Amino acid sequence: MSNSYSANRVFMIGWEYPPHNSGGLGVACEGLTQALSQSNTQIYFSLPYVHSGLISHMNVLSCVDPSWDVVGIDGKQIPPFQAYTGALPESKSLVDAIKKFNIDTLRALPQSELENKVHQYADSVGSQGKRLQHNYDLIHAHDWMSYPAAMKLKQETGKAYIAHIHSTEFDRIPSGYGSNYIMRTEYEGMQAADRVIAVSNYTKRILIEKYSINPHKIDVVHNGISAPTVAPDPGTHHFAHRRPVIVFMGRLTMQKGADYFIYLARKVLKEIPDALFVVAGSGDMYHELLIKNAYNGLSASVVFSGFVRDNQREKLLDRADVFVMPSLSEPFGLVALEAAQRHTPVIISKTAGVSEVMSGSIVVDFWDIDAMTRNITQILADKNHSQTIVNNQLQNLQETTWEKAAHKVRSVYDMTLRG
Amino acid sequence: MPNICFYFHLHQPFRLSDFSVFDIGSDQVNFFADPDFDSNKQIFDKVAQKSYYPMLTLLLELLETQPKFCFSMSITGVFLEQAECYDPEIIRLLQKLVATGRLELIAETYHHSLASLYSPTEFKKQVDLHQQFLDHLFDYTPIIFRNTELIYSNDIAHLVGNLGYKGMLTEAVPRYLGDRPKTRTYWSHTDNPIPLMLKHAELSDDIAFRFSDRNWHSYPLNVDTYLKWVEVYGEEEYINLFMDFETFGEHQWADTGIFNFFRHFVHTFAEKSWNNFVTPKDVLVPLYDQQYGNNKKNQVEVLSNSKVMAEPLIQNTNLEAHQIYSVTEPISWADVDRDITAWRDSPLQVDTLNIMYDLEDKILATKNEKIIEDWRKLQTSDHFYYMCTKWSADGDVHAYFSPHKSPYEAYRKYAIALAHLQETLL
Repeated sequence: MSNSYSANRVFMIGWEYPPHNSGGLGVACEGLTQALSQSNTQIYFSLPYVHSGLISHMNVLSCVDPSWDVVGIDGKQIPPFQAYTGALPESKSLVDAIKKFNIDTLRALPQSELENKVHQYADSVGSQGKRLQHNYDLIHAHDWMSYPAAMKLKQETGKAYIAHIHSTEFDRIPSGYGSNYIMRTEYEGMQAADRVIAVSNYTKRILIEKYSINPHKIDVVHNGISAPTVAPDPGTHHFAHRRPVIVFMGRLTMQKGADYFIYLARKVLKEIPDALFVVAGSGDMYHELLIKNAYNGLSASVVFSGFVRDNQREKLLDRADVFVMPSLSEPFGLVALEAAQRHTPVIISKTAGVSEVMSGSIVVDFWDIDAMTRNITQILADKNHSQTIVNNQLQNLQETTWEKAAHKVRSVYDMTLRG
Repeated sequence: MPNICFYFHLHQPFRLSDFSVFDIGSDQVNFFADPDFDSNKQIFDKVAQKSYYPMLTLLLELLETQPKFCFSMSITGVFLEQAECYDPEIIRLLQKLVATGRLELIAETYHHSLASLYSPTEFKKQVDLHQQFLDHLFDYTPIIFRNTELIYSNDIAHLVGNLGYKGMLTEAVPRYLGDRPKTRTYWSHTDNPIPLMLKHAELSDDIAFRFSDRNWHSYPLNVDTYLKWVEVYGEEEYINLFMDFETFGEHQWADTGIFNFFRHFVHTFAEKSWNNFVTPKDVLVPLYDQQYGNNKKNQVEVLSNSKVMAEPLIQNTNLEAHQIYSVTEPISWADVDRDITAWRDSPLQVDTLNIMYDLEDKILATKNEKIIEDWRKLQTSDHFYYMCTKWSADGDVHAYFSPHKSPYEAYRKYAIALAHLQETLL
């Protein structure tokens, strides 16, 4: 019966997609679209660059403004970020920024140029989307970079539009002094949307309190996590096998609370002098953190791995005795699920959306160094306690699937089309 | 009419190999060489071709052709170790030079470390190790001391005096020397003073740094000009030209004409009968012996009970205040600051140094020779030099010498090495 109402054709507007992603947005788009296509949804997925990978579960549209085109040495068009490895042509600034797929890099562009490029993407999506308008029922846009495109397409086609919020400017710049342009784009994008999907109740509250979005218009769809490609291999055999290892993994920005991790290390080391803390990631606070670390006398106890990917990432999470995510404001926090998947007890801040699905993890305030220290010493001292947390987390993960997320998204589609 | 004292410093650090957080605790880790590629060998071989071979050969030639010529060198233990391992022919060349009796070898720490600032016991040990190595390779016992990067203070002079050395080389730093000439000898401000020779920074750097600088008003420097600058000094004066050995061929490439300049200068200077070459012991040992008599044994006993004095005048000596070079905070020959901020300034450097030297007791207690030697090689001052965040003109010099992309990367890697070292102690 629901099939007669069911929207099974959607035009999605994205910004990044694995393997060319800087973080959670690309991963979430991958997990969600795969699960949606398995539940019989046809998807057009637009990207602001030419995707080089093989994607079979949906139609990927490269909505590239001609002025961004980058021609490789063999004369073929190649993705912008690949064009800048090795001895290929010099970059244009936006392409350079897209290359890194990093909000922080984008932010560094002159405001007018950033604005300009986001609107060029909107034009390109608008014209390609209009051409295909008989092939989809609604528009589903991921984060602010795609909202101008979504609004344009809605205007062109009259189709309903869903704004999906993976992250807000308020999360990225917790001081509240983020970019006016980005906040305005988020606000206008959500106002213009027929419905809004937030990745957590935490984010929903921000949308209500900071962006004055009508609560009745917002649905919460928690992210899921795909099964690990490499089986978890927890244990101390990977490295540093003679000392407990506590891991932070994320961009080194104020949002992620990496500096609280340093303070936490300082405190824990007073009780467990042999503990090794590993900070994995890169970001604008990197140099500041190194100096803070040295200033606190932690040089040999808190080490920085730099940005890690693939097997190093898995190895680090496999090895970790405790994983800590002290984010100041985290809409979701996929990496906590990855850590849980690899049998590592997780400590999450209350201001992280992922805490809503991980009742088995330890949840504390990001600033509560004392509570985190207590929990870490307890986990390290008591193997049973640690194992209990791991088991409970694995239980939570059973409920945290992309299938479940896709199911909810489909019901949002239905609701949207019914009006 | 003056005397020229050439002193060349020959050193190569063991740079860290490329190991990561994921190697911490692995028994496969080699701190200083990757299994498949030894960057230290690569650098050594490159500099050997550009500098060591041509300059050592030139020095040998000058000793053979110019009877007045003599010079001094300090060669770090870590250099000699690499030479033995990567290119033993260099050792044979050095042995030839030493055998002439006209190359004075100067004592220092084996590991080119900052131990003098942290641990008197470790300092003494590394000086001993260096002396033993010189004895082993060259059958040579040095009499004069130079500390890493000419780092010097009253406290360090005290340590060095206690080790029985009869003199020291260091930098002439105006904030301590005042307007006194740097071409005289001075005495340390310790209660049993030792005589000192101070580097002539301007004339040394004309060769070491400015020689190929096209923006320099005296570019290109020719022998006649340089001779004029040298000859303004009188016969009682010592022009102490202290520089990196690598000045010849590496910092100043062969195509700048540096080798010909040096050859030509030595001959032209020596032509005049009143010009002389000296080495530090020629100058300092007579002064020392005059002060203390010839009974060194007695002296060392007295010195070992001595302490640095707070007052500017030294009792029980015939020395006057104007003969004393009193240096209260460590100086060096590096950067425009001529202090130790090239190695110890930012928290990155301070903390890694503290941790390194705090490990002394634990490391020595292992009695494990490999661990102890790794720890000592990690003390080589270059590791801390790479972490220098003073991004002025000096920063460029640091960047030139550093194998790392940035001082932060140097710190990150060094910190991982420290974490690994600590792991081996658990």
